[in-house]
Amino acid sequence: MAFISSGYNPAKPMENRITDIGPHKYDAYFPSVIKKNFGKWLYHEILEPGVLVHVAEGGDKVYTVRVGGTRTMSITHIREMCDIADKHCNGYLRFTTRNNVEFMVTDEAAMKALRDDLNSRKFSGGSYKFPVGGTGAGISNMVHTQGWVHCHTPATDASGPVKCVMDAIFDDFKSMRMPAPVRIALACCINMCGAVHCSDIGLVGIHRKPPMIDHQWADQLCEIPLAVAACPTAAVRPSKVEFNGEKVSSIAIKQDRCMYCGNCYTMCPALPISDSEGDGIAIMIGGKVSNRISMPKFSKVVVGYIPNEPPRWPTLIKTVKHIVEVYAANAEKYERIGDWVERIGWESFFKLTGLTFTHHLIDDFRDPAYYTWRQSTQFKF
Amino acid sequence: MTKHATPLLDQLESGPWPSFVSDIKQEAASRAENPKGLDYQIPVDCPDDLLGVLELSYTEKETHWKHGGIVGVFGYGGGVIGRYCDQPEKFPGVAHFHTVRVAQPSGKYYNTKFLRDLCDIWDLRGSGITNMHGSTGDIVLLGTQTPQLEEVFYELTHNMNVDLGGSGSNLRTPEACLGQSRCEYACYNTQDMCYQLTMDYQDELHRPAFPYKFKFKFDGCPNGCVSAMARSDFAVVGTWKDDIKIDQEKVKAYAGGAIKPNAGAHSGRDWGRFDLQKEVVDRCPSHCMKWDGAKLSIKTADCVRCMHCINTMPQALRIGDERGASILVGAKAPVVDGAQMGSLLVPFVRCEHPYDEVKEVIEKIWDWWMEEGKNRERVGETMKRLSFQKLLEVTDTPASACHVKEPRSNPYIFFKEEEVPGGWSRDLAAYRNRHQR
Amino acid sequence: MADDKDVVVEFLNSKAGTKSKFYFNDFTALFPDKGPRDVKKVLTKLVNEEILEFWSSGSTTMYGLKGAGKQSHAEGES
Repeated sequence: MAFISSGYNPAKPMENRITDIGPHKYDAYFPSVIKKNFGKWLYHEILEPGVLVHVAEGGDKVYTVRVGGTRTMSITHIREMCDIADKHCNGYLRFTTRNNVEFMVTDEAAMKALRDDLNSRKFSGGSYKFPVGGTGAGISNMVHTQGWVHCHTPATDASGPVKCVMDAIFDDFKSMRMPAPVRIALACCINMCGAVHCSDIGLVGIHRKPPMIDHQWADQLCEIPLAVAACPTAAVRPSKVEFNGEKVSSIAIKQDRCMYCGNCYTMCPALPISDSEGDGIAIMIGGKVSNRISMPKFSKVVVGYIPNEPPRWPTLIKTVKHIVEVYAANAEKYERIGDWVERIGWESFFKLTGLTFTHHLIDDFRDPAYYTWRQSTQFKF
Repeated sequence: MTKHATPLLDQLESGPWPSFVSDIKQEAASRAENPKGLDYQIPVDCPDDLLGVLELSYTEKETHWKHGGIVGVFGYGGGVIGRYCDQPEKFPGVAHFHTVRVAQPSGKYYNTKFLRDLCDIWDLRGSGITNMHGSTGDIVLLGTQTPQLEEVFYELTHNMNVDLGGSGSNLRTPEACLGQSRCEYACYNTQDMCYQLTMDYQDELHRPAFPYKFKFKFDGCPNGCVSAMARSDFAVVGTWKDDIKIDQEKVKAYAGGAIKPNAGAHSGRDWGRFDLQKEVVDRCPSHCMKWDGAKLSIKTADCVRCMHCINTMPQALRIGDERGASILVGAKAPVVDGAQMGSLLVPFVRCEHPYDEVKEVIEKIWDWWMEEGKNRERVGETMKRLSFQKLLEVTDTPASACHVKEPRSNPYIFFKEEEVPGGWSRDLAAYRNRHQR
Repeated sequence: MADDKDVVVEFLNSKAGTKSKFYFNDFTALFPDKGPRDVKKVLTKLVNEEILEFWSSGSTTMYGLKGAGKQSHAEGES
């Protein structure tokens, strides 16, 4: 490999440097129908799962075909999307906040050709490249984090479990039979760089063992004060320990204070936290962000731990699918999962789903815990 | 033929949902073939090694990545995340595998030229693997080596006129819903506010000086498609003050079954005939609606703008004309003090370019938080520690009943000295004239 | 400005034995009469002059003298 310079001169980093220019302006890439009707949209309709039409004041229409995307995608895949956009959409496309991709056209025949083209493309392994769906009262694409693909503190993978969940609920990505929209998200550790705490179903990677301490290397690899400062619960402190008959500067961890966040490992590679037996996934349900009918709410933990079972995570998938089916069978129209559970009560939720209620599900983390206990004689046997 | 056997990952190629494994494999194959005849600037087989190290994680159920403190390009304190593989001899192609965050246009509309140009840079100088997009909204270029960082930045800025996004203790890349570009519910131009504020606060975005991360998100209406209220320290959520506009003929058309309710969102199941009373009026959270069979009326003073009736009958009901936004502050994910939702600070703000009213609130919050916030404390936690009253005070916001779900249930009120007639300096001698010891 | 820069560099040198990276707040404490925005200007200048550099955990960012500390930036990268 011969190094190819872009023109950057490392000896003079400030020379010809361009900084602080920000993103491109949002309207630089509007399809013409979007540009023309900006702020003039009148109403919309979901014609079929994954296909929307928006109608403007003047009568202009834009048909949108939404397809599921994987957050992790190759440039080969992006270039194929570009080919599709060039062929059908005058070279424009957009992405949604849930990793979906939207292609827009202005008449129905073009929409059908586009939709059929998208649905026809498959990877060599057999999966769809661009499945059309993800609208209305169905299950849209999952948002998720990096997992074992690229993160240093994950308690599970992200792309893999997401693939498995989406395979399992694929029919509901492509239909709208749910009582209300169902939003599923996955974060591969409790730091939630992709927040899942307000999802209908939130899957969260959890560690269950405090970090190990590599006394031999701690003082050589790390600045101990930084690891100490990184701990959100003040469980990490500097300590002199005996190692191979010598006193060495190292770290001590108050294990019962550790919330397994991995922040100390970020600062200090001598404090590894990953553990095949300790790590797994918790399931939280009933959160929402929308203000529709009821106020936004947090998701609550209903399964404290499911082990990692790569490559297909069968226990996790079975549990998620089961919760979805019980919800679909029992909730009233317009009830999000959280609204439904609030109406029937949590006792009924555990009864209906058959999920086991354990002491792990009772909040014991700081002040808010008290407000989740039952200060009443009203409850269901 | 792939470089590493991946029997576990191969099981993620079946099933209908797009397989990221198949996708990484096709990138590996493309690089091996090298149809453009590129002199790849990082190892040609890095996608193979990415699959290899992932297969190892699938076997062992443990990650093989380490964090690196590298932050970005010269002069920037964010935009790049450093990653190293902890099995570099086995997987040399991903031994150093840093990510680059690139600023996305708000609303995420692209043309294919932009995307192809970006792909070309990443083909030559990176792994060819991306995230479209990361959780915060940036384009994420996944995996390159340190010597390429400045080169990628140079080409992004010089050839594509686009900048890096944020990471670390700074303003993170702001994000907006698609707003007025294709949504009839948008109460303000979310994309423009997002763009303008991103441009105005470039220094805050690239050069960290905050106690911790700070996120803006812009939702056009209370439906909240970008989750501003749940995920951003400073959430601007569109709303309106006047009447919901009603087209009574269209209401009748919905009631009579001539128009599909919910814009067709529930059409996958037979829910029976649309019942306007039961599905709209009775579901209204503030009971502000009446339907007499011919006319729908809404008592605007009681409306809390939840969007349900508008979502259900979008052709009959429209958002009002006196539009603006509510500002909610302090949302965050659970670590460390528990999850927080944004708390309503400014009930209504006008959203007109150049958004000085909104910026004034932002800057007052920043001045306070930069002064008072502890290291690694999100502004929501600072609010909890120092009180909501303090936030009202520093932002010059008058307290009102809409700031709370309910008033306090304890009388432990911290009065300020100036709020009490005569202050706290009292005349003991005069008191003793009235009272014996 | 020159004096302010010296204050920062002296502070970092005085801590060199124990710690090489500091939060932004640690520097505001050095300048009780300055607001955070002015302190930031001093630090930015030092970064642009290649005296200071950033270090990031991804979620938080710290400042330190260029090249200082045990956790080097580039692990064996050329």
